[in-house]
Amino acid sequence: MTVTSSSAERVGPPPPFDPELEAALTLVHGTRPASLTPDLIEAWRQGSAVNEPTDEELSRGGAFEAYERTVPGPAGAPDVTLLICRPVNAPAPTPVLYNIHGGGMVLGNRRMGLVDVLDMALEAGAAVVSVEYRLASEHPHPAPVEDCYAGLLWVADNTAELNADPGRIVVVGTSAGGGLAAAVVLMARDRKGPALAGQMLLCPMLDDRNDTPSAVQMEGVGFWDRTSNETGWTALLGDARGGPDVSPYAAPARATDLSGLPPAFIDVGSAETFRDEDVAYATAIWRAGGQAELHVWPGGFHGFAQLAPHAAVSQAAKAARPAWLRRIL
Amino acid sequence: MEELAGRIAALDPEAGDALKAVVFFDRLVEGRANLEAIVRGAAVLTGHPARLVDEARHLRIRVTPEGVRQDPAGPADPAWPYATADTATLWLERPGTARPLDLTVLERAAQAVRTTLERTRGRATPADDAALIEVILDDGASGPARAHAAHRLGLRTDVPLRALALGGPCGKVEAKITEDRRANGRTVLPRLPAEDGLRVGVGPAVPFAELPGSWQAARLALRLAADDTDQDPGPSVVYADELGGLAVLAGAVGPETPPAPDVEALERAASAAPWMLRTLHAAAYAPSLRAAATDLVVHHSTLHDRLTHAERLLGWNVRDPAGRLRLQLAFALRRLHRHP
Repeated sequence: MTVTSSSAERVGPPPPFDPELEAALTLVHGTRPASLTPDLIEAWRQGSAVNEPTDEELSRGGAFEAYERTVPGPAGAPDVTLLICRPVNAPAPTPVLYNIHGGGMVLGNRRMGLVDVLDMALEAGAAVVSVEYRLASEHPHPAPVEDCYAGLLWVADNTAELNADPGRIVVVGTSAGGGLAAAVVLMARDRKGPALAGQMLLCPMLDDRNDTPSAVQMEGVGFWDRTSNETGWTALLGDARGGPDVSPYAAPARATDLSGLPPAFIDVGSAETFRDEDVAYATAIWRAGGQAELHVWPGGFHGFAQLAPHAAVSQAAKAARPAWLRRIL
Repeated sequence: MEELAGRIAALDPEAGDALKAVVFFDRLVEGRANLEAIVRGAAVLTGHPARLVDEARHLRIRVTPEGVRQDPAGPADPAWPYATADTATLWLERPGTARPLDLTVLERAAQAVRTTLERTRGRATPADDAALIEVILDDGASGPARAHAAHRLGLRTDVPLRALALGGPCGKVEAKITEDRRANGRTVLPRLPAEDGLRVGVGPAVPFAELPGSWQAARLALRLAADDTDQDPGPSVVYADELGGLAVLAGAVGPETPPAPDVEALERAASAAPWMLRTLHAAAYAPSLRAAATDLVVHHSTLHDRLTHAERLLGWNVRDPAGRLRLQLAFALRRLHRHP
């Protein structure tokens, strides 16, 4: 698909934030710089580690038992670590949410944002497997996505150990993890890999060109603006970013064939960089004859449901996710 | 990169976060957030459930510290810290002494509620009188809510008050509250709507706090008030404090109670002649048969002829004291069945 270049498109001011979300921002204002630039990556990595969930939090009050497993990585690459959270005392094989964390391709780890995924899994009676993938720029494309795919292959081949149902594996990813999740799903289709039950793409980062109307409109606003996005994509792709030769496995918005994919769930805020590329991805899936559920939450900034889970719009967004899981599983 | 900021959680009272609360609620008001968002803010920032109740506007919102709407079931605890906004009260469901931060949040949230109420719902108007009266007469309503309602109505709370139950012709019951005024030893009722078939039950004079009890008694008295028509002769205004044992009788007759044989006999007699019920009522309540004849504007002998006819239909003598009491009870029971 083509995206209209920003110079030809006139965009209005950023859509207003939801009032509850905007008020929530007043509580966190000043805790971090507005945009990620290459020189800030290290500081942001350290900052994100502070909010990592503890083992106790991961157990969700004893509902899950968590352990780690080192599994073979891509050919010629190091092993991959999986954080496995299985429902305690599940009577029958469970679905699996295969989770890919966010962090702009450059930061985060397998624990990042996992609490929300576990809460969702709890409602769907599913296990969660969260993959530790190598980060850019130390490990540019295709290292991150190949790590994610290697971990998925292991899960699909080892469902007995996981007490999991091989027919009910859903790939879940947030932000950069959403982009990687969409890419892993494309890979599984193209490489005749495991059959997947669904792809849940939460405010996914899909388009390295970084020039949609929403990217332009939201420049300098919210939690992941156009500058931060450029930093992330450049770390992953180097000079190739935005050029003619970017693989859909790096930036799924580049895919020209979106047929034959499992059902997709895509959600995004109306006031964030990724709005237009995420809406376009859902549209492209429908156009190809596929199934997608798209939610554009009004006044949501990037990651609003995670930062301000109490807000009414966050509660609605978070309720839609397990509801979709229950329908497809 | 929301992970860098973590999650919104309760403010730290030790960290000088009061200013954050001020800015937070200002921003909600600027963004025209709704009342639930304001109550949610109070709950999330303090880590305690918050509830907003405005009986005049039929408004009840309760939100948990997780931000989940969960409307109140029980009454508010008088020990909880609260702040008021117009007719609304905002509580933090928090035991023990409120921290300064709680009070800041309450005050700012209540101010946001006031602004939002004025913007979205307008001021409580006299049209809301019925709702305000309902609050005062509801013994489930909190003390502060009842006091607010009295204030809105301009009702004095330091004098004896009576609840009135007004029964319209189609069975609708309205409530009124009046100061206890007397002239020549009799209670003076307020001006009531000039409505055909209006029946009134007057509750006893009580202190403000006991008005729910006066209201219960007024509704009971209303059941014994008559339409004052040929089909239901008798006084249309009944005072609860004059009922005596009839109050016990009223309590014993509900919608499911089958009519006593005397009531059925009275109905049968009523269908025999249009003058029957008024005649029997006069015979039962007038000081003498002569006075009854005068009331009915009939000749003394005509009254005797009518009563002889009636006694045959009823099956008992209505002219001796025991028969008069039996007839009075039959009338009372018949009204209780007519006005369940």
